[in-house]
Amino acid sequence: MGHDSQIPEAGDFLRTYMGEDDVIVVRGEDGEVRAFLNACSHRGNKVCHAEWGKTKAFTCSYHGWAYDNMGELAAVPLEEAIYDNLDRSKLGLVPVARVQNYKGMIFGTFAEEGPDLEEYLGDMKYYLDVVLDASPEGMELIGTPFRVEIRGNWKLPVENAIGDGYHVAWAHAGAMRVVGTIGQGRGESVLGIGKDNTGFDDSGQMQVAIPPHTVLSTLDGQSGYALYDNPGPCIEYLEQVRPSVVERLGDVRGTQLLGSETHMGVFPNLQIIQGLNLLRVIHPKGPGSFEVATYSMADKNTPDEVKDIIVKHVGQTFGSAGILEGDDGDFTEAITHSPNGYATRQMKGWLGMAQGRTMDWDGPGDASPGIVNELCQREFYTQWQRTMLAESVSDILPEQSAQKESANG
Amino acid sequence: MAKKQKIAAVGKDTNMETAYRIERFLAAEARTLDEERYDDWLAMLDESIVYKMPIPMNTYRRNRPGKSSIRETMIYDESFEKLKQRAAREDTGMVWLNDPATHHIRTITNIESFCTDDASVYDVRSKFTLLRSRRDKDHVSHTGLRKDLIQDTNDGLKIVARTVFLPERVIVDKNLNMFF
Ligand code: FES
Ligand SMILES: [Fe+2]
Repeated sequence: MGHDSQIPEAGDFLRTYMGEDDVIVVRGEDGEVRAFLNACSHRGNKVCHAEWGKTKAFTCSYHGWAYDNMGELAAVPLEEAIYDNLDRSKLGLVPVARVQNYKGMIFGTFAEEGPDLEEYLGDMKYYLDVVLDASPEGMELIGTPFRVEIRGNWKLPVENAIGDGYHVAWAHAGAMRVVGTIGQGRGESVLGIGKDNTGFDDSGQMQVAIPPHTVLSTLDGQSGYALYDNPGPCIEYLEQVRPSVVERLGDVRGTQLLGSETHMGVFPNLQIIQGLNLLRVIHPKGPGSFEVATYSMADKNTPDEVKDIIVKHVGQTFGSAGILEGDDGDFTEAITHSPNGYATRQMKGWLGMAQGRTMDWDGPGDASPGIVNELCQREFYTQWQRTMLAESVSDILPEQSAQKESANG
Repeated sequence: MAKKQKIAAVGKDTNMETAYRIERFLAAEARTLDEERYDDWLAMLDESIVYKMPIPMNTYRRNRPGKSSIRETMIYDESFEKLKQRAAREDTGMVWLNDPATHHIRTITNIESFCTDDASVYDVRSKFTLLRSRRDKDHVSHTGLRKDLIQDTNDGLKIVARTVFLPERVIVDKNLNMFF
């Protein structure tokens, strides 16, 4: 739903979506973060139309019921005169059942029961910590998100971002020719793929399934900045902090994951992409439409000069006018609408790449070599199916696979 | 009645001839872009250009930027080099979305030209509608306004700054990869 850095002070709030439910996330007067449906208890009008801000009260624009920033119904116009027995204590905003925080990231669920956040994240925390816990101060989101609505199914942009290393060199060929490693003439290949979408080197790369989540990473410790025109200051800062990250998180994460192009998919709709340094949430808008919200992110300690490079880079590549972002919406839309035709609908897509290929990996999860691989995408759809077929919330997580012993890298 | 209001809060009008030249310049710029002549377009820009498009702020009036911890984000925040790069991408022949070609039609209107403290620089306000159309019926129309600084040089008029305001908080389009 958000991040602590967006609402640091009492009264700070932001609005987001959980599915198609409009939700307010607010830090109350008491400092606690809560989330509520953005719907008035009287007749259901929205109580907040601002995207973010700071407030002591959410006052409904219809009849003026006012809720404090802890969700209580604080005032009702003409209350004494028109109501005989209004119990305001029962008419607060409807809370999101559980709001939990992992190292600054705020998650919510409407489920009263089922796994807690930490259990749900499971071994994914090992990977998330590379972004969320690389320093004692942790990560922050910078700025308001880019928001774009596209007429496609929400699952497509998710699995594209978490796992489709195959499309990068071809779908984005025009952009690849002008930005970063190839565009600036620093090299003839990027992320293991040659300039003309030929030649391929997947050594030292992986996709890994940590069901229900996934990670893709180049494991080389710096190709996260491969698409930057001017990665110098970013890499300099990276190498400057690396020793302390190695000390904090160990060798595997400090040398192989930190700085690599790493796409973390937290099921269902959160993607945290290190290197490009963006965080995206895909909000479904019915089966045929979705909204992408894209944020820049950086460790809080990052010098301003480096943060500025990151923020500009995110805008340039994956913002609303990003030169890569714009390519993806096209096939997302086409794939969604191709099956409108009866005969086309009988087709099956194919996601068989690298099935059965495995590799040794010192972190948690089952790894498969190469970022050009369809493991993450298969895992995503497997989990989606598992979720849709689950009879209760306790069935949505896969059977716990035996913990790998060296999972503390 | 309240005291007489100054109509244009921006500055003194330029003379008619300058205003006319600026109008012609902006129309020619729009046509150059519609015709995908990016090198010609780049020649209409000063190399120190600052080209921006901020995200519209849907916040309460009392929560203006600076009064809260969330800072403004830019959809475009480009230097001349970055604009050149975007233009070069269009010319790679590898932007699959634009082949068959995407058609753009830019309508520039409400052009107002004002003097600034620098006699060679004009503060020019305009409104635009940019229709983008591709394939069977993938049409989107974007309407907004622009605030330009345009300089008179020996080499003709050049845009030294452009801020585009597109009043769409959620962009309902696959991309905004086009010049405004
Ligand atoms: S609907 Fe909110 S006060 Fe009536
Ligand atoms: Fe892509």
